[in-house]
Order: sequence, then structure tokens, then C-alpha cells
Amino acid sequence: MEYLSSGKILIVDLAAGETREEELEDDLISKRIGGIGITTHLLGNYKDQDPIVMGCGLLTGTLYPASDLSIITAKSPVTKTVCHLPVALKAGIEFKYCGFDYLVILGKSANPSMLWIHDGVADLMDASAVWGKDVWQTTDAWRKEMGDDLIQTLVIGNCGERCSDLAQVSVNYWGSGDIWGFGSLFGEKRLKGIAMRGMGLLEVAEAEGFVDHSIKVLSALKQAPWGGKTGITDIVTAMGRQDVSDWMAPMVHRNSSSYNVPYPYSTFLYLDEDPALLKEPEGVEPGIMITSPYVAIAAKDSGMSASEAFKTIRSCLRYGIDPEAAMQISAAEGKKTRGEMEAALDSMSRKDTVGSRPPFSHYCPGHPLFADFGTGKDSGDFEEWWMRRQALAYLFGVDPMFMLMSPEISAQSMMEAVRLGTGVDISEETLNFLVTELCA
Amino acid sequence: MGVRVNALTCTGCMACEMACGYHRDDAFALLSSCIVAYRTREKKDYFGVILKEEDSLVIARPEGMEIRKIGDAGGGGGDSSAKPMLLRESCDLCAGMDGGPMCARFCPVDAISVE
Repeated sequence: MEYLSSGKILIVDLAAGETREEELEDDLISKRIGGIGITTHLLGNYKDQDPIVMGCGLLTGTLYPASDLSIITAKSPVTKTVCHLPVALKAGIEFKYCGFDYLVILGKSANPSMLWIHDGVADLMDASAVWGKDVWQTTDAWRKEMGDDLIQTLVIGNCGERCSDLAQVSVNYWGSGDIWGFGSLFGEKRLKGIAMRGMGLLEVAEAEGFVDHSIKVLSALKQAPWGGKTGITDIVTAMGRQDVSDWMAPMVHRNSSSYNVPYPYSTFLYLDEDPALLKEPEGVEPGIMITSPYVAIAAKDSGMSASEAFKTIRSCLRYGIDPEAAMQISAAEGKKTRGEMEAALDSMSRKDTVGSRPPFSHYCPGHPLFADFGTGKDSGDFEEWWMRRQALAYLFGVDPMFMLMSPEISAQSMMEAVRLGTGVDISEETLNFLVTELCA
Repeated sequence: MGVRVNALTCTGCMACEMACGYHRDDAFALLSSCIVAYRTREKKDYFGVILKEEDSLVIARPEGMEIRKIGDAGGGGGDSSAKPMLLRESCDLCAGMDGGPMCARFCPVDAISVE
């Protein structure tokens, strides 16, 4: 693939300690488009070697609005089914610019290891020095070691090292949409994480046409009904939890966006500084970023004060445990204080079997946000609509949360962007076939 | 006339950076853009945008916007990612492109203006 792609797949064999490259065939893109269309295909190709597959969409890292997404696909230890972890913030595009569109991780390493991908080069390196360190310590250590604070990391903490199915793959310092226990898969492979830095360049087939199309979509989005709304607080309000919004609002420092996403839904809370501070704080670690409305809701429902609840969430983020699940389990066990919850992290486990879940992370609410998609459905009847919107996001590389608030980002619009960007004409038949398969 | 940034409106999405890179390279890349979002102080959530002009650096931070003449003490412009700001080309207001500077056109929250 010549456009919007590096045209390469990276295969990493942890047991052998080797990496190799394969060409990404145009024919595969014509049939499977990209994103989870191709990660699921690669997962099937290597199904006997405990694969974890990462990939990006054709639109990831472009000027098409909300094009922030890469995805990790694997068989979840929680559901025993194939599931997809959205990788957003700035990590999704960092992967795309590293020089590989897809990454297949096979086997298990004998010793703690990490994968360092940068500018078309992949290095498997010893990670003994950070094995036992938490998520924040690990990201700090790798950024310092490589001498670049813009390195993006996908990393596990102590929870992943002990192979708990509550373990998340964290993005830099923060929680992710990993409700699948993918962190435990990293732990079983003794893979501490992936560090990424990409300074590549993506050629565009019809550059002016692509940019004009993108600006038209953005112009329409700027008229959208979410204008003026911001952060996790307005999302939880739209979910019927105004109480959560009011409870956490005094701690909000700022709302920021994932790459090129018009709605800023990453909400940074200052726990140890004045949230109104308009200068660089003196403290090195003054707060946390919340990227999931369900984490905010679980924090509120813990019964603790906002300060204590979010300090507990900070401990969860450092430990690399799914903070929503950890708060819910702690509450169910009758733990009422931060100290009780933190003391339980090392032994925390999932008590109940998890029933079937959709393959897409539920950190995105199951209904439209702020917008009217013209579905004509009553509330509570959005499952099919939600699955299709998520599948489209994960196929093309568009932010899955923003997909819930932007009817302007339609399948036709993304297919047109792909046509202009790559010269590949995707038929509606191909797209519908894939979406149906991926939602099954 | 120059590009100006309101750091308090900016959400740090980097669309401006990519749009500028597109203007330079006719492709998508970040290394050649003359406008860059601060990202290096992630744990502090300290943020802003830095822009290289012909003779100066425009630095938009929560404290306000500052224009430093290149060469003055302290005018090096840290936080500029892998390629130092001073090695980048200066803003040309997207000369030759219709519709004005690409960074302003692609900013989803209208934090960038031309004054």
C-alpha cells in the first residue's frame, strides 16, 4: 500500500527473541479495509501461537476528524472471545508513524522484555530493570532512558505482572478501555510493554481532495449540538448522572483531546494542587487523567469523598488494574476507605464469571451522546446501532467515543476519505459484510 | 499579521501541528511543522502551543501569550519534540494555499486566529 500506510506488518516472536517484517498486501486492504478488519484476520493466521495483534486504520493519523485510533485485538481471558482494545490519546497515531501498520506478538519471553518501535525499527529489549515497577515508574524510566518525553507507551503494572484478569494495558500513565484483561496477556508473555516513537510521513493519493473533504466534515461538526459541552463531566450528565458531574467538577483542571478529536473527553483532575492553577504546578504528580465516564461513576458510587475516591483511582492507575472494576469489587466487598482498597489491590480478583460482552470496549456509553442520529429508536434499544458505530470506528481508525456524538462521520464519509487518501474504492457490500462479521 | 493562539481554549489535539506539516510536505507528517503543542509535561497537565515566526517564537501558555525574539536569552523554546523549534521553517501563513493558515482552519475549537 503506497498511501496512508507504511505497507508493513511487524512480527515479533518473543520466544525466539526475533522480529521480522512482512509486506501488507493491497489485496488484503481491499478485502479487509484495515483496523480490526485486518487485526482479526492476522489473529486467525497465528491463532496457534498466542497472538496479540495491534493495528491502525487507514484514516489513523490523518487530518480526517477524530482520526486518533489504533487497536489491540486478542482473545480476552475475561470473556474467552476475541475482543478489541481502543488505543487513543496520542499513542494511537504514534504507532502509525512508527513505520508499521500492524504488529503481531507471538509466544512468550523467557525473561522480562519490552518492545521498542521507532521509525521503522523494532528492538526487543530486556525489561528486567522495570519488572516490578508500576505503570508510572515504567513510562518515566523508558522516556528517561530513550531521552524523549514524547515516547508513547503501552505498559502493564504490577497487576499485569501477576497475570490478573483485572489487569489493563495502560496508555502512558492512564487507564484505557481495557476491560478485557489484556494486561494479563502481556504479563503471561513477560512483556512489560511497548514503547513507540514515530516520525514517519504518510503520502496521500489525492491530497487536496482529502484535505478539502476533511475540512468540510470538520465544518459540519463545528455546528454540531455538542458545541459548548466538554469533558467527562458533560458525558456523565448526558448519561443521567448529573450527580457525578457536580461531585467531580470542583477538581477539574482541564479537558483535553486525543489526537484531532474535536470533543475533549480526557478530563484532568488536580488532587494535590489548586485545579484553577494557571501555571506549571510545582508538584511532579499533581493529579490524574480520567478517560472513561464509567470510572468517574464507579468513583462516585464508592461512597468516598471525591478527593479520596480519585486518589484511590490514582493508585489503581499506577498498579495497572481496571479502575472501574477495582472500585466495584471493593465496594461489593464492603471496603469503604482508600486504605482498605489500596491494601486489597494485590489480592483482588474477579469473583463472578463475566457473561458475554460485545467485542468493543464499553468505556463508550451504549447510546448517542448529545446528537440525534435519526435512529428512531427509544432509549435502551441502541445495541445494534452502537455495535455498528463502534465497528466503523475500529475499522477506519476513528475515535469510538466521538463516533457517538457525530452523525457527520458516516460510513460514506469515511469511505470517501479512504478513496481520496489511498485510491482504494471500498464497496458498501464489502463494508457491510465486514461490519456484520465483526459485530457477530 | 501573524498566527495567535489562545492556550486556554486549546485542547491539545495537535490538529494544527498536522495541518502545518501537510502544508510543508504535501503529506501527513509532524516533523516539519512550525506550530507544536506542548506534550512533554503530561503528568502535570501543563500545556500550550509554540509557533516559530521569522524573527520570534510565539509561546501560548496558561499564563498568557508571549512573543520572544529569537536570540534573546531564554528564547530557545523548549518542549518542541524531536526537532528543535529553531531548526524548523518559519510560519509563512500558508502562503499559496486557499483559505488562510491551515492550523486555524483545522483547529476544531477555534483557539487559533490570524491577527
